[in-house]
Amino acid sequence: MTTTCRHTHTPRSTHTPRSTSGRATRPSVVLVAAVLALVLGALGGCGGRPTTHHKPGTSHEQASGSAGELLAARDDDGHRFRQVDDEGAPEVALAARTDSEDGWNVHLSPRNFRFTPDSVGGAALPGRGHAHLYLDDRKVARVYGSWFHLPGSLVPRGSHRLTVRLYADDHTVWAVDGKPIEATIRLRASNGGAGHEHPEWNEGSDGNEGSGKSEGRDGNEGSDAARTVAIAIADGRVQPPPDRVELKRGERVRLKVTSDRADTLHVHGYDKEAELPAGKPVTLTFSADRTGLFEVETHDSGLVLTQLVVR
Amino acid sequence: MTKPLPLPTPPSGVGELAHLPDAPAPRPGFLQLAHGIGSQHDLPISPFYAFAGAFAALFVSFLALGLLWSASRFRGDRSGLALPAAVQALADAHVTRAALRGLGLAAALFVVLHLLLGPDDPDRNPAPGTVYVLFWVGLVPASLLLGPVWRMLNPLRTVHALACRAVRRDPAAGRPLPARLGMWPAAAGLFAFTWLELAATEPASTTTLLVSLAVYAAAQLAAAARHGDRWFADGDAFEAYSTLLARLSPFGRRVDGRLVLRNPLHGLDATPAAPGLVATVCVLLGSTAYDGFSGTPSWIDTVQTSPLGRTPTSTLGLLGAVALVAALYALCAGATRLISGQLPHPLAAFAHSLVPIALGYLIAHYFTLLVVEGPRTVIVASGTDNAAAPEPPLDPGGLAALQVLAIVAGHVLGVIAAHDRSVRLLPPGRAVAGQLPLLCLMVAYTLGGLALLLA
Repeated sequence: MTTTCRHTHTPRSTHTPRSTSGRATRPSVVLVAAVLALVLGALGGCGGRPTTHHKPGTSHEQASGSAGELLAARDDDGHRFRQVDDEGAPEVALAARTDSEDGWNVHLSPRNFRFTPDSVGGAALPGRGHAHLYLDDRKVARVYGSWFHLPGSLVPRGSHRLTVRLYADDHTVWAVDGKPIEATIRLRASNGGAGHEHPEWNEGSDGNEGSGKSEGRDGNEGSDAARTVAIAIADGRVQPPPDRVELKRGERVRLKVTSDRADTLHVHGYDKEAELPAGKPVTLTFSADRTGLFEVETHDSGLVLTQLVVR
Repeated sequence: MTKPLPLPTPPSGVGELAHLPDAPAPRPGFLQLAHGIGSQHDLPISPFYAFAGAFAALFVSFLALGLLWSASRFRGDRSGLALPAAVQALADAHVTRAALRGLGLAAALFVVLHLLLGPDDPDRNPAPGTVYVLFWVGLVPASLLLGPVWRMLNPLRTVHALACRAVRRDPAAGRPLPARLGMWPAAAGLFAFTWLELAATEPASTTTLLVSLAVYAAAQLAAAARHGDRWFADGDAFEAYSTLLARLSPFGRRVDGRLVLRNPLHGLDATPAAPGLVATVCVLLGSTAYDGFSGTPSWIDTVQTSPLGRTPTSTLGLLGAVALVAALYALCAGATRLISGQLPHPLAAFAHSLVPIALGYLIAHYFTLLVVEGPRTVIVASGTDNAAAPEPPLDPGGLAALQVLAIVAGHVLGVIAAHDRSVRLLPPGRAVAGQLPLLCLMVAYTLGGLALLLA
């Protein structure tokens, strides 16, 4: 209803002045043009180069901020710690899930904290800033949001520590009780680097196992223990016969499917797909984040492999 | 693990894309779900809801035996509070009727054109969703709220009328319909449609739909050419379906032609005991039950491993479900006749009381489909490709409550309708005993419906 009204009214209001603009109104047209030119000029001036010396995000100087108290302690890159009271201090938790394609999807859950990419380089304001991500003390990225994809190519084979630390806009380290505000989890790459290229249909092995435990301040769900469902298709028969897999919402599920002929695997509702080459096991991993009863099936042979019951 | 450790490759944005598998092209009609369309089923309800529902159904049934009235109260289509004359004039106006006919014809053209020219993919073509969700499922609430709407919209009626005008023939002219035919064509048509939806190989493919629609339209128009437009009322499966459900609408037409607001139970009582009514109700109950049953892993496995092939097995399952419902009903009608002495048409006499039970089944099984796939179909029709289905409006608990409530409410209405009919037809001394078999049958249907929600 409202959309219709808007559509019918807008043309009328623009048409009316045009229809009355005749010879008699020419001076007013000129006037309007002049005003427009002025306004446009003013706008252009506003949009021009700022007169400050540093564009946002380019300065690495530590602007003096009144938030918290600067400590003598510094991080590995020489950034000073900025200590705030424990109460109302920023917090962060970290979780990583194995991606079905490559590497990990890393999730930061900050509390009392906002990512402020627009004001980076400015003065430190309480509860604002950005995060740094470290893999075994090596800085991987500066992060301005809660999700980050960690490519498998950055993570050599073996066990690693992934750490997130919160920074203020002036690149000081937010700290409580003399310790930086950070969270660490363990990552285990069983098949590092370039081996991630086609983890789904090359190997079928659990190409890149995400790990373990969250040592974050909130100690939240860092767990990546996925439910594995192994299914084999031979001669148009599904083994084990179709059944239901009961899952809790948010739980990870890993489908390991082997088909004796080339086909496509499809998970309804989540619209996950994977090519099934003949005879090779394929793993499809995802988190069941919608409730309902969903069928897992193959496209060409049209077989229902199993049903996911997500509550 | 056995591979040599590969050297880490430098991260690159292009490499990330190159890792993605080629997106498989959408295959025509791969959606082989029981509903013909849609990507999710309802969660099985928790036993708590099922037991609560079963208990309520049993309790109400026996309460009804003892407490309900002992002389028939329902007056069928003689009851009702007349709506203002202006409302009736508007509803009966020639313009209104013509507008509705035009709307029906436009919708049919929309579907046919999308089937002919649109992509063969139910995610991008709104036609399958329009047929299976907006039309087939949407007909239930529309008829319940507004009365027999499909009679007003039926594009086949319009095509017949236009063709008759073109050849200057009276649309009503034609041979009279055989009295024994009754609603049998409707029962057959409804069975054919549910077969298409639940047992055919690719129910949502454009070819299947086009062929089915063409065959159906040709058969209907041929019958109408032979019998005149009186054919459609009972011969068109969807008109008969809509009219049957509209018996439970609060709006109806009194015997004197006035539009009235009335107690749906009175409207239900006015259902004519036409031949084929039992068959129609049994098809509705049986096909809906099969729809619930066909989603269970054990039946999926049976269908997938059957030596007969999938479609024949599904067809047998669907036929079996309808036959089971019908056999139970026939058994019960026979028992009623035995207990009550003489009853001229024991089968047809109580068939109307199964309509609310069928309605309860329909709501319980198709509510989610309508509220999730219905809006999605509209979004696709408005030009959005591969639109995401909206989130269901109810959480699993709320949905389970709604499903159980629908089934139990259908049961209660059925029990009341059957009670009134039995005190009217049966001799006073045997009225209570005579409705026992029917009560048992209804309890069986209701428990069956709840069990299907559990499965």
